[in-house]
Amino acid sequence: MTGVKVNNVLGSLGLGILAILITVAIFAPQIAPYDPHDTYKWMERPSSEHLLGTNDVGNDILSEVIYGTRVSLFIAFTVSITAIIIGTALGLIAGYSSGVLGFLIMRIVDIFLTIPRMVLIIVLAAFLTQSIWNLIVIFIIFGWMMTARIVRSEVLTLRSQYYVDSAKMLGGSDRYIIWRHILPNVVPLVVVQFIMEASHVIIAEAGISFLGLGDPVARSWGTIFNYAFEYPNIILSDAWMWWMLPPGLCIAATVLGLTFVGYALEERLNPKLKTVVGMEA
Amino acid sequence: MILKISKLKTHFSTPDGLVRAVDTIDLSIRERETVGLIGETGCGKTVLGLTITRLLQSSTTVKGTIIYKETNLLKISETEMRRIRGDEIAMILQNPTTSLNPVMRVGEQIAEVIRLHQGLNKKDAAEKAIKMLGSVRIPSPSQRANEYPHEFSGGMKQRVMIAMGLACNPSLIIADEPTKGLDVTIKSQIIKLLKEVTKEKAMLLITHDLSVARALCDRIALMYAGELVECAPAGEIFDAPRHPYTRGFLGSLPRNGLVPIPGMSPSLINLPQGCRFHPRCANAKAICKRKHPGMTEIEDGHFVRCFDA
Amino acid sequence: MHYINKLAYYLVIILIILSINFFLPRAMPGDPLAYVLGENPDMPIRMTEEEREMKLAEYGLDKPLPEQYVDYMIKLSKGDLGHSIYYKNPVMDEILIRLKWTLLLTGTATVIYMPLGIFLGAESAWARGKKKDTLSLITILTVSSFPSFVLGTLFVIFFAFKLGLFPLGCANTIGATYANPLEEALDILHHLILPVATLIIAHIGGTYLLMRNSMLSVIGADYILSARAKGLSERYILNRHAIRNALLPIVTMAALTIGFMTVGTIFVEKVFAYPGIGLLLYDSVLRRDYPLIQGIFLFISIFVVLANFIADMAYVWLDPRVSDE
Ligand SMILES: Nc1ncnc2c1ncn2[C@@H]1O[C@H](COP(=O)(O)OP(=O)(O)O)[C@@H](O)[C@H]1O
Ligand SMILES: [Mg+2]
Repeated sequence: MTGVKVNNVLGSLGLGILAILITVAIFAPQIAPYDPHDTYKWMERPSSEHLLGTNDVGNDILSEVIYGTRVSLFIAFTVSITAIIIGTALGLIAGYSSGVLGFLIMRIVDIFLTIPRMVLIIVLAAFLTQSIWNLIVIFIIFGWMMTARIVRSEVLTLRSQYYVDSAKMLGGSDRYIIWRHILPNVVPLVVVQFIMEASHVIIAEAGISFLGLGDPVARSWGTIFNYAFEYPNIILSDAWMWWMLPPGLCIAATVLGLTFVGYALEERLNPKLKTVVGMEA
Repeated sequence: MILKISKLKTHFSTPDGLVRAVDTIDLSIRERETVGLIGETGCGKTVLGLTITRLLQSSTTVKGTIIYKETNLLKISETEMRRIRGDEIAMILQNPTTSLNPVMRVGEQIAEVIRLHQGLNKKDAAEKAIKMLGSVRIPSPSQRANEYPHEFSGGMKQRVMIAMGLACNPSLIIADEPTKGLDVTIKSQIIKLLKEVTKEKAMLLITHDLSVARALCDRIALMYAGELVECAPAGEIFDAPRHPYTRGFLGSLPRNGLVPIPGMSPSLINLPQGCRFHPRCANAKAICKRKHPGMTEIEDGHFVRCFDA
Repeated sequence: MHYINKLAYYLVIILIILSINFFLPRAMPGDPLAYVLGENPDMPIRMTEEEREMKLAEYGLDKPLPEQYVDYMIKLSKGDLGHSIYYKNPVMDEILIRLKWTLLLTGTATVIYMPLGIFLGAESAWARGKKKDTLSLITILTVSSFPSFVLGTLFVIFFAFKLGLFPLGCANTIGATYANPLEEALDILHHLILPVATLIIAHIGGTYLLMRNSMLSVIGADYILSARAKGLSERYILNRHAIRNALLPIVTMAALTIGFMTVGTIFVEKVFAYPGIGLLLYDSVLRRDYPLIQGIFLFISIFVVLANFIADMAYVWLDPRVSDE
């Protein structure tokens, strides 16, 4: 198999996984057999009524996991889109204005990247009330730096190339130059960064929820996993198979899908581009 | 005859198409002779050098024969080839700044090839490396041997590259653009050095600088779009060039008024029909567009690829 | 010059971390007093105005902020991180009791996964496009997509519960008496294997990919061609020329991955009920033991920043070009 073929296979596989998950998230109310907050007999084994059984308070686990897809993906995509926009904007500013402002932005990026953000996120989450909105805000605050750094260095490279200068000589305004010449070159990098950040948030959010800091109402996969984990002697019964395994596998599948797509994209754009896949949880 | 290349083709298959970087080249080098290989950037000079030393990736298509002292280099095993590389045939790569390992001391980069081919122990090899640095006129060589490449100037790095190539006393040297990017004084120093150290050796000198070729070469081959277009003793090339490309090339010399050849060299993927030079040739005729001219010996040892010669 | 710049930079970062820690309870919604006394911030404490004033004075919370800041710094310099609400002990003492287990866990995992990831990444890149490379790439990407706590839980279920090969958790057998130190060491090792394996498998992907990428760009470098032109063997070129160059970006990222690993320990310690700092953090979060949470935050952050500093120094040592700047 050649490198290109492997890339295409991985990329399509990743896209396939993501397409399924996104469909499930969007059509959760239509797909889920029950409302995840309705209660039935608790701790039921899987049956034709409850394909994945019920949990300790009697919620249908399958419905819980299906709605969990919504929560997990919503957090991941909201955070990464916002963080990417902020990062791109700051990266453009930092790369384009070489003065004090640019310097300041890059120093903030350095500092943010040195402080272990997951610990700070855990601490902040512990101080705040448990809600998905608080989590989203916290993740955004700590999610834009890598994008800013990458965009800035790309802008610096582009700026040193002649066509930005020649555009300037022809009288283009700064805004026009950024819009027409720089942004189109930056977009592919940002797309890769978006995917990396999304997979990062999926894992981080799952981890935070596993520590019991997730939203108890809008339950993500991590929260479901945590409730199962905290159930006394869960592994002594078989319940882990339908209560822990499904949310656990969903988290892994999402990350895998994102990783494959990100990897394939990255190889296609630039085989030498380097990103660290951070596994924080 | 120390090296005899016949009908050599080197093709790369790329997503954009087949790159015919070396396309049917015949060239030979005698003992103690310096042959210059001249041509514009991208015409395939480096690829030819790398083909001779078999340093291209294994997916490359190479056809023809390269006879080095009775062995066909394209037929021997990789292990046998490794024994020849650096020992009998040394390639001094282009661009010394990137061709020296930035995190290895300069002395060690020379010593390792000595240890490998001459079986010297660490200490003796290190001493020999220092001697080599001295022989390429690097001042205080024993101290410089312990420094890293970034501590050397461009000219000094080039000297290190030469010392590295000469370390095992090879019989054939392939020097790729050894004067590129150097200023005039340094350039003439390097020319002088090369002249001195290769007096007893055969050398293929790759360059796009005619003044360097004039100073060093016995014979000169001009390369255009993957093939040779003229090959003759150096004097004849300069005094009686026959191919329009050669004339154009000479015309672009500073003292001849820097008249560049009009147009651009063709892509090696989409070569023009007929003579490859015809789109840029001032006296192209109808036949030049249709037929690909062969290499003809118009005088003793003077070969030209042109219908008009 | 380089060292001094770097040192100043890291001192600033530590100052920022200390300040974040200072402002956390004061800037968060809720009563700062509650964060010290341990009442649920959503349910304000019932106290008379005088009692409240007294408490505020006791913790210095009635003073102006700058003065509080100075007090905080003075206390910190004496190693005083306040008192745990739950344990009623100094935070520092609680952390130090747990520290050895976390160090054992992260240390063991790091000395294994770093070299292993580097080795696998280098081998993979050197065999680029071949079956060996594709196979290891896909395997490692797949395994790495499991969060450590999912992986750890599965390990507990299979290797500890189903197969009975390892204990279910903890760092040693509770209440055991050992005949000799060797027996104790073996017991600790027995408890260590599963959590360490979890950490390694969950974290090796980052180092592997980084090394593979880095190695791929080194393979195309001119000096590798140069080494080939000397007739050196592939193995020799890989070991002597390629690896050291490819390691440079790894070293810059080493601190980052150590940071990931330190955080990963929190999840693994929870899964295995391993009594280190991570488990302590988790328990403190459940109990909303804010002084302890903050203490652990400080401790881990400063540890990671120090790791960064050391990595920077190592870089200078590895790359002769930097030290001359
Ligand atoms: N490994 C390769 N794969 C594909 N094309 C290559 C490769 N190496 C060189 N080429 C192409 O071959 C042509 C000749 O290159 P080169 O020999 O380096 O030129 P020069 O005469 O300047 O030394 C160029 O067009 C280059 O793009
Ligand atoms: Mg060249």
